[in-house]
Amino acid sequence: MTTTTVPRARRRIRIGSALITLVLVVIAVLMVTPLVWLITTSLTGTENAFSVPPTWIPRPFTTENFRAVPDMIPFGRMALNSLYVAVLSTGGSLLVSIPAAYGFSRVRFRGNQAIFLVMLGALMIPGQLTIIPVFILMNKLGLYNTLAALWLPALINVFAIFFLRQYFKSIPRELDEAARIDGAGHFWILFRMIVPLSGPAISALTVLGFEASWNNYFGPLIFLTSPEKMTLPLGLVTLQGGYGGGPAVIVFAAITMVVLPVLIVFLIFQRYFVASIATAGLKG
Amino acid sequence: MARVRARTNDWRGYLFISPAVLLFLIFIAGPFVAAIVLSFYHWDLLTPAVFSGTDNFRALFSDPLLWKVMGTTFLFAFASVVTHIIGGLLLALAVNRAMNKVLSYLVRTAIFFPFIISWAAVALIWKYVLDPTFGLVTYYLAEIGITSPQWFTDPHWALVGIIGIDFWHTIGFTFIIMLAGLQTVPKTLIEAARTDGANSRQVFFNVTLPLMSPTIFFATVITFIGAFQIFEPMQIISNGGPDDSTMSIVMYLYQTGFQSFQIGYACAMALLVFLVIMSVTLLQFIGARKWVYEE
Repeated sequence: MTTTTVPRARRRIRIGSALITLVLVVIAVLMVTPLVWLITTSLTGTENAFSVPPTWIPRPFTTENFRAVPDMIPFGRMALNSLYVAVLSTGGSLLVSIPAAYGFSRVRFRGNQAIFLVMLGALMIPGQLTIIPVFILMNKLGLYNTLAALWLPALINVFAIFFLRQYFKSIPRELDEAARIDGAGHFWILFRMIVPLSGPAISALTVLGFEASWNNYFGPLIFLTSPEKMTLPLGLVTLQGGYGGGPAVIVFAAITMVVLPVLIVFLIFQRYFVASIATAGLKG
Repeated sequence: MARVRARTNDWRGYLFISPAVLLFLIFIAGPFVAAIVLSFYHWDLLTPAVFSGTDNFRALFSDPLLWKVMGTTFLFAFASVVTHIIGGLLLALAVNRAMNKVLSYLVRTAIFFPFIISWAAVALIWKYVLDPTFGLVTYYLAEIGITSPQWFTDPHWALVGIIGIDFWHTIGFTFIIMLAGLQTVPKTLIEAARTDGANSRQVFFNVTLPLMSPTIFFATVITFIGAFQIFEPMQIISNGGPDDSTMSIVMYLYQTGFQSFQIGYACAMALLVFLVIMSVTLLQFIGARKWVYEE
C-alpha cells in the first residue's frame, strides 16, 4: 500500500512544481515584454516602427531615433539636472539625518523623546498637504523654476531619521562608553564608530533616496517650467506632449535613454537594492 | 529625580538635532500649520487673501466632482490593495518553492524591475502598449479572439487599465516584502506540521499565513497609503478622462491648487486627504488586533 502511494504523491508534487515554474516563466515573459518592445521599437526605422503585427527584430535597424532626441529636448542638460538634484537630496538628507539620529538615540537632553515623537507623527502628513505652502514659500524666496526648490525640501527626511535611530540603537552602548573612557567625544564616536558600523542602513537609505529623487515627477511638475531646468521624467512627458501624434519612435528612444542606464545600474546592484527594500520594509 | 535629570541634560544633543529640527519646521511643520490656516481663506495668489470661515469645507461637501473623485480613488486603492496583496503573496510563495537558482533569479528580476522605472516612463510606455491601433495588447488579444476595449476612451475601462499598469509597476515591491516575510517563517515549524500529518493547504492556512500576517498587514497599510495618493498615470495617460472616470483625488487637488490657483480650496481638500489616510490607517491598526499574529 504505502510503497505505491508515496511515489504517486511525490510525482504529483513534481508535476505541481513544474506547473508553478511554467506559470512563473510565463509571468516573467509578460512582465518583460513591454520593455523589449520599447527597446526594439526605438531601434527601428520610422517607416516600420509600430507596425501591426508588432515587429520584434528592428528592421531597418537604426540609431537615428536616438540621435533625434537632443534636437527635441535638452536631454543632456536634463540628465545633469536629475543627477544634481538626486545627489544633493540624497547626500544632504544623510548629512542632516545622521547627526539627528545620533542625537535622538545617544545623547541625553531634555525634550529628546517629545521632539522625536512630534517628528515621527509628521510621517503621517501626505506630501500634497505641505506642498501648497512650500510652493508659496519657494515663490517668495525666488526659487520657483530652480532646482533648489526640489532638493531643499528633500533635506528633511523623517523616515531616514527614524530608520537610522533604530539602527543606531542596535549598536551596543558599551562601545560608546569604552570610547568615552578613552577620551573620545561625540563627533569621534559618531563618525569614527557609529557611521562605519551602520553601512547597511546608510546604503539602504542612499539607494532608496536616490531612486525616489531620480524618479520624482510631482515636484518637478509643480516647480519647473523651462526645459533647461527640467529633470528627465518631466522632460520625457513634455517631449511626448509637445509631439502629439508626431514620431512616437523618438519618444520611445528618449524613454529608452532614460530607462536603460537605470536598469543596468539596477542589475549590477540588484542584491543590494532588493535587500534595502526588504530591510526598510521589515523594520519600518 | 528632577535634579538627576537636569544633570544628565547634555546640551550638545540640541546641536546634533538642530539642522533637522530647523528644516522640519520650515518644510513640514510650518507648511502643515499654514495649510490649515489657508483652508479658511479664499486666495488666488494674485489678489490679497480673504478670510472665508468654513466656506471651503462647506464647498467640499457640496462639490459633486469631489465625491466622484473620492469614489474613484477609493475604488482604485481597494483594487490596488487586493491585487497587490494576493498577487504578491502568490508570487512570493511560488518563487520560494525550490526552483532552479538561475531561473529563480531571472523570475525575481523580471517581477521586480518595473518598480525602479519612473512613473513618467512607465505611463508613456503603457500609453503605447494599450494603444487601440498599434498597441501590443490590442494585437495579441485579437490574436486569441478577444476584442480589446478602447482603454482610455471608454469610461468603463480606463480605470481598469490604470489598475493594471499600476500592478505591473509596483507588484515587485509587494513581492519583495512578501518574500522577505516568508523567510521569517521558521522551516522547522512547517516540517513539524508536516510530520504531524498536515497537508499543504493546512500548512499554508494554519502555519504560513498566521506567521506572515505582520508582513501582510504592513504591506496592506503601505499599499493603501501609496494607492490613495495615485497621480502620475492619470495625469500623463488619461488626464483624468474620459468623463473624469480616472480623476484621482490628488489629481483634482493638483488642478485646483496649481492650475486654477484656488489655494484655500486646495488646502481644504488636502486636509481631507490627510484625514482619510489617517482614519483608514487607524482603522487598519484597530482591525489588525483581530487577525495579525504577534509573537
